[in-house]
Amino acid sequence: MRIAIVGLVIALAFGGYFLLPTPSDPEIPTYQLLQSSGPPEFETVQDPREFSFPRDHGPHLDYRTEWWYYTGNLVAQGGERFGYQLTIFRRGLTPGGTRRESDFATNQIYFGHLALTNVDEGEHVALERFERGSAGLAGASGDPFAVFLGDWSIQSLDETGTQVRLRASDVGFGLDLTLAATKPIVAHGEQGYSIKGGAEGNASYYLSFTNMQTQGSLQIGDRIFEVSGKSWFDHEWGTSALGAQATGWDWFGLQLDDGRELMLFHIRKGDDDGDEQISGGTLVAPNGDARWMTADEFEISPITTWTSELTGTTYPSGWEITIPAEGLELIVEPHVKDQEMRLNLEYWEGAVRVSGSVEGQGYVELTGYSGSMRGLY
Amino acid sequence: MKPLIRAGLRDLIRRPLFSGLMLAGLALGVAVVTAIDLASQSALRAFEVSTATVVGRATHRVVGGPTGVPEGLYIELRAAAGSMQMAPVVEGVVSALDFDERPMRVLGIDIFAEAPFRDQLSPGLVFDPDFQQFFTKPGMAIIGEEFAKANQLAPGAELAVQVNDRLERITVLGIVSTLGSSDVLLMDIAGAQELLGTSGRLTRIDLLADPDSVAALRTQLPPGLRIVSSSEQRDTADQLTSAFRLNLTALSLLALVVGFFLVYNTMTFSVLSRRPVLGILRSLGVTGRQIFAQIVLEAILVGFLGSFIGILFGVLLAHFALGLVTRTINDFYFLLTVREVTLTTSVAVKAIALGVGAGGLASVIPALEAARVPPVQVLRRSDLEQGARVWVPRVGLFGLGLAVAGSALFLLSDNSLPLTFIGILLVILGLALIVPFGTLAFLRLLRPLSSRILWRLAVRGLARQLSRVGIAIAALMVALSVTIGIALMITSFRSTVQNWLDITLYSDIYVSSPAAIGNRPQADLSPSLEARLARLEGVATVEAIRTVQVLGEKGELDLTAVDPRRVRDAGIYRLASGSARQVWDRVRQGAVLISESLEFRYGTTETLVLQTDAGEVTFDVVGIFYDYSSDRGTVLMSRDIYLENWDDPALSSLGVEALPGIDTYKLAESIRAELSGTGLIVHENQQIREEAMRIFDRTFAITQSLRVLAVVVAFIGVLSALLALQLDRRREYATLEAIGLDPEGLEKLTYLETALMGISASLMALPTGLLLALILIHVINVRSFGWTIQLTPAAGPFLQAILVGLVASLAAAVYPVSRLRRMTVAESIRGD
Repeated sequence: MRIAIVGLVIALAFGGYFLLPTPSDPEIPTYQLLQSSGPPEFETVQDPREFSFPRDHGPHLDYRTEWWYYTGNLVAQGGERFGYQLTIFRRGLTPGGTRRESDFATNQIYFGHLALTNVDEGEHVALERFERGSAGLAGASGDPFAVFLGDWSIQSLDETGTQVRLRASDVGFGLDLTLAATKPIVAHGEQGYSIKGGAEGNASYYLSFTNMQTQGSLQIGDRIFEVSGKSWFDHEWGTSALGAQATGWDWFGLQLDDGRELMLFHIRKGDDDGDEQISGGTLVAPNGDARWMTADEFEISPITTWTSELTGTTYPSGWEITIPAEGLELIVEPHVKDQEMRLNLEYWEGAVRVSGSVEGQGYVELTGYSGSMRGLY
Repeated sequence: MKPLIRAGLRDLIRRPLFSGLMLAGLALGVAVVTAIDLASQSALRAFEVSTATVVGRATHRVVGGPTGVPEGLYIELRAAAGSMQMAPVVEGVVSALDFDERPMRVLGIDIFAEAPFRDQLSPGLVFDPDFQQFFTKPGMAIIGEEFAKANQLAPGAELAVQVNDRLERITVLGIVSTLGSSDVLLMDIAGAQELLGTSGRLTRIDLLADPDSVAALRTQLPPGLRIVSSSEQRDTADQLTSAFRLNLTALSLLALVVGFFLVYNTMTFSVLSRRPVLGILRSLGVTGRQIFAQIVLEAILVGFLGSFIGILFGVLLAHFALGLVTRTINDFYFLLTVREVTLTTSVAVKAIALGVGAGGLASVIPALEAARVPPVQVLRRSDLEQGARVWVPRVGLFGLGLAVAGSALFLLSDNSLPLTFIGILLVILGLALIVPFGTLAFLRLLRPLSSRILWRLAVRGLARQLSRVGIAIAALMVALSVTIGIALMITSFRSTVQNWLDITLYSDIYVSSPAAIGNRPQADLSPSLEARLARLEGVATVEAIRTVQVLGEKGELDLTAVDPRRVRDAGIYRLASGSARQVWDRVRQGAVLISESLEFRYGTTETLVLQTDAGEVTFDVVGIFYDYSSDRGTVLMSRDIYLENWDDPALSSLGVEALPGIDTYKLAESIRAELSGTGLIVHENQQIREEAMRIFDRTFAITQSLRVLAVVVAFIGVLSALLALQLDRRREYATLEAIGLDPEGLEKLTYLETALMGISASLMALPTGLLLALILIHVINVRSFGWTIQLTPAAGPFLQAILVGLVASLAAAVYPVSRLRRMTVAESIRGD
């Protein structure tokens, strides 16, 4: 999912970073840079296309941005409940590969976010790392499907890439999970071609395994939990970002107990531009059939809000989602209010529970609440 | 007390000339000390800052041999070391061709590993489309804001740089405030590797880790690599330069010693001329103790004032001294850029303490004398001078004792440099105290030389005025002997180095890179150059030379690997077993020679352990050779053996020998033509020798300046002594004039007297200077740097000193003489 969002997360990342240095603070460096000769000529996402696996699980270097996004709700043998997120982003600086003398030379940057939510204790931890995509420090390949960022890795266990092992750990916590897709890959939008803005090329390719049986272990402090549960995998790539009006988005990836999965996104824009808000969704049937939904088929209404004590940002914190055609009336609530990702890029991403006409679980992502990204990208 | 001080101050103000001179002498002394102190502190601080720029917050670093650390190790460690923070660094030196071949440090970093270590670049920059060229284009560098401003560089500017044997262009991608004025070209690690030609290698890996993890990591390191702590690194820099800095400080203190004499001189005069007033004060009930306190207080006030002026002047002077100090550090120790002199509290406090201390101490004897003034009336001058005859031998004896004690101190103090310097200071002070006695003896010898009235007046007059004149002569003597001592030491050192160059520089033509800084070659030249040059017509042999820094048991040392085919001249060995050929045979088989300064650092040793690419290897030491190119010590080994132990085929320089009958100038031209485009420098033997001597002279430039300053202070001393003398002898002059000595005669008398002062000071400075030179050569140099210097007897420094003594004293007489002309008989007698 998070269709349109490819560019936007980057915009967020930019935004977050750019806001950091202020010249008045002597501790923080000031820069004066040579103007670049122009934007690099990446390909843009224009049309639906055929995918071939496992190759298309791998990187697409002709496009600027790409990510591999794993989230899931897990239960330990003792009944403790957890949420996890492991994301590895790729950012191309110029299209294609690079051929230079130094092994360190690269035009690819990889960065990753790792988070764990301990539902019962109400705790959430998150951290990030960056690496250059060269010299064996970070990289990705399609056949066999693998993505790694230092010692964080996504490694396929079969030829088609439907089973993967995730390993990531850092100071204080980590995970080692094996995931197996129980449904075929879902191509969102028009066969994976996911439009995210009015202008031509404002789109991305968006693929998901919406239901992955998960098993493995989580480590928190010096405790190890043997866990099992369900994960959701998003793989998305593209080049151009949304228009300047986008301020953020809300994304929902819900796994319902009746065997269906629901992906919904909503790109928020400033109130004044009058443009149509961009929203969309996919409903995946128990047999794996996926149906694309337009904005008029569903409604998302926030019920309540939560304000972060640490950043002062207010996020919606509970929603009512209705899809009349499917007879769905869902209440979505976070397992833990504070699942704010206080990284260079500030956003909220967390495990949620679903109640209402059908129960379930899932993950929600909320961006752009900590300050408008308008004009940043 | 207050009225007393006021009276004292009034007295100082009433004699602005004396007070001014006293102040000037003291201020100059303080200024010199301050300047040297500031310069050497600023240099150290700059080193720390540049270390901070380069090392950042790293606690440790993984380092290797001359070729550094394989980059694969970094990847392995990253995977294995878990959460330990580490950052790869590629460093090198290039020279900026458009900026006077200024050496610049290339710092190649991986921005993603950097954040915990250094602040130059915020990781967020990677998302700036303009910044992205940092990664994607080769040759992109970020420079410091102040450096950019000073050199008028804006983003997009191109820098032509010499890298090893290549000319390259670097584009200024950006300017960052955190690099300041440092000469750093901050590059992406890939760009730096490509620029420096070190792909696959890192200079080091910076670590941020606790001692336990470091200890664990140590056991995982392949042979040839080791972990050093950052503080070790800083300490090394401190230690490397400490002898050099201490020598400078000691020299600067000499200027203060001369200034000390000056204060003593002036205070003595002040007391003498105020005896009537003091007598009246005493009869009014002021105690001797109070008068003592008053005089000392006055001196302390002058000390304060002098210190302040001295500090101000010292800061100005420091800018000049800084250039010289930095130059030497660059030539001998490490690359450093210092442009800032910041007055620190500690330097200021030290300067004030020195100034006030010198002033107060110098006034103790005059103050004691003042306190002893009987309350009745003025004593007659002759009584006092009578007294002088008693104290002169006593003081002389005391001085002798001091000199002996001082000698004992530095002879017995083994290798402690500070104690050595204190000993020498005592010797100089002792000898200075003998000066009045010497002067008296000298004048006695002179007396019978002529029976002319002026001669007798002058000789006797001087002898009688010894209480003031003696001090001025002593000050002059100290300054002159320092001049002689230093000049003799430098001359000897220079000719020793010249002889050494004759022996060691045997090739006709040398090829090197301008990236070499001073005498530290930094370049990695292609080994193919050897064959390329050997092919040229007229070339007999080409010798490849590799000079690198390797790790020994006591830190870094220089290693020079040379062509084993050429037997070294016996003249370079100070100590070796067997003939030159036998020694060299053993060197071919794997033994090494060590330089004197290395012997000084390591002690006499039979073996030497070096970190090679395969771990520690023990080499037999078959001899000690003279070497003046580095004070950290040099190991000389066969290049064949070097290549066996280090995977480093690069060259640092090449020596070319011409076939007999070949014009070396023409050969040098054809080598230049062959190497055009490489930017390498081709020197004929003579040029390289001149270059070496130029570096030598540059090293001693600051020593020379200190010498001049000591003479300036002494000149002020003579001037003020003369003025004092004259003022003191007004009545005598008036009487002389009254009884028929014309003004011209008086002038002649003054000149004659000062000439005698100058000559007696110079004469006494000759043996003292020689002694000082011997001490500098055989004690200070050996204890500071471990160099053997042959004393070269040269008349120059001695003649120079006599000339300076004479000129200084005669020049100092010019103003007093002009005052004499304005003095009238009537006025002088009225003053009675």
